[in-house]
Amino acid sequence: MLRNTRARWGALSQLFHWLIAALIAVQVVLGLTGVALPLGMAKLATLARHKSLGITILGLALLRLGWRAVNPTPALPGNLRPHERRLARLTHAVLYALLIALPLTGWMMSSARGFPVSWFNLVQLPNLLSRSVPLYHTLVRVHVALAITLGAVLTLHIAAAIKHHFVLRDDILRRMLPGAPPRPMGTLPSAKE
Amino acid sequence: MTASRLVRLMIPCLALPGIALAHAAATGPVYTLIAAHSTLTYTFIQAGAANQGRFKVFTARFDPGAKMLTVVIDMRSFDSGDAQRNGLLGGRDFFDVAQFPQARFTSTQLRRTVGGYVATGALRLRGVTRTIAVPFSWRVIDSGGRQVGLLDGTTVLKRLDFGVGQGQWRATEWLGNAVTVRFALRMTAAAR
Repeated sequence: MLRNTRARWGALSQLFHWLIAALIAVQVVLGLTGVALPLGMAKLATLARHKSLGITILGLALLRLGWRAVNPTPALPGNLRPHERRLARLTHAVLYALLIALPLTGWMMSSARGFPVSWFNLVQLPNLLSRSVPLYHTLVRVHVALAITLGAVLTLHIAAAIKHHFVLRDDILRRMLPGAPPRPMGTLPSAKE
Repeated sequence: MTASRLVRLMIPCLALPGIALAHAAATGPVYTLIAAHSTLTYTFIQAGAANQGRFKVFTARFDPGAKMLTVVIDMRSFDSGDAQRNGLLGGRDFFDVAQFPQARFTSTQLRRTVGGYVATGALRLRGVTRTIAVPFSWRVIDSGGRQVGLLDGTTVLKRLDFGVGQGQWRATEWLGNAVTVRFALRMTAAAR
């Protein structure tokens, strides 16, 4: 099913989730490689791909938020304690915010440095800021800090998914997986077991 | 007076009409650059995005009568807007300004077009001389009683024709071969 239900994420939400997850993994490799490479054609190519993918993630994140707004959000399992619910909601909100903020600060960085961003050599994006080297250096620090934050929050997100799937044995991970039907309600163990 | 002396006296007289004829083709004022009000920029495509830089020091001389346009560029005066990139572009792999501090365009032919000219001539850049065509518009305006010439145009060069980009920088996938050169020159009329 394309659309979400209260019990499970629909195909489009799943596609957004796993596509963005895969792109983030590629972005980490491209970003770290691009920074490490000496000034040369390989560096230009790597950073250009990093920028193009970043803009792709920004677009996907906006589409994903739009789709989320017009779809039911699957409910959190009933066995969660209130502070766990709050933590889950906060984690998700921070993740969505970072999916927007990381590409945006990257785009701003490039603008401030005077290296305009192109999306896959197809569209040249407008500069968000005028040229300023001090601002560029500040934005680099912000971009890196956000990337580290993303790493930390993703670790929490993945650890929680693993705990739900293998320890609590609920359907949190399964309902984000294509094809995997939710565990029958009768077999759901409660947290107190 | 001997015959040989007579001939020697006559030579300048014979030559004079020739000089006068050559001079007749080159009438009217000669225009030289008002540097403070002129711009010379280049734009190239890097990874799908336009990057612009400029030359701060250059001279130009336009003689419509003699059909001559000459532009001399101090290659050390370029500014790409980024210190790191300036270091790269000024270095051996690109402009190599230490070895080739000057670029020069000298027209050999000037053809009138609608609203301007096309100057065809030799561009010597980074030690390589190639014939290029430079179309430009030309108009003379009156600026506070002074005759001011406005020479504007655009020409597209291929950087690799001049060896701008050596080694790994010969590849054009991420650094385009085409470089657009734009000039907006303000020139003042000077006596010949």
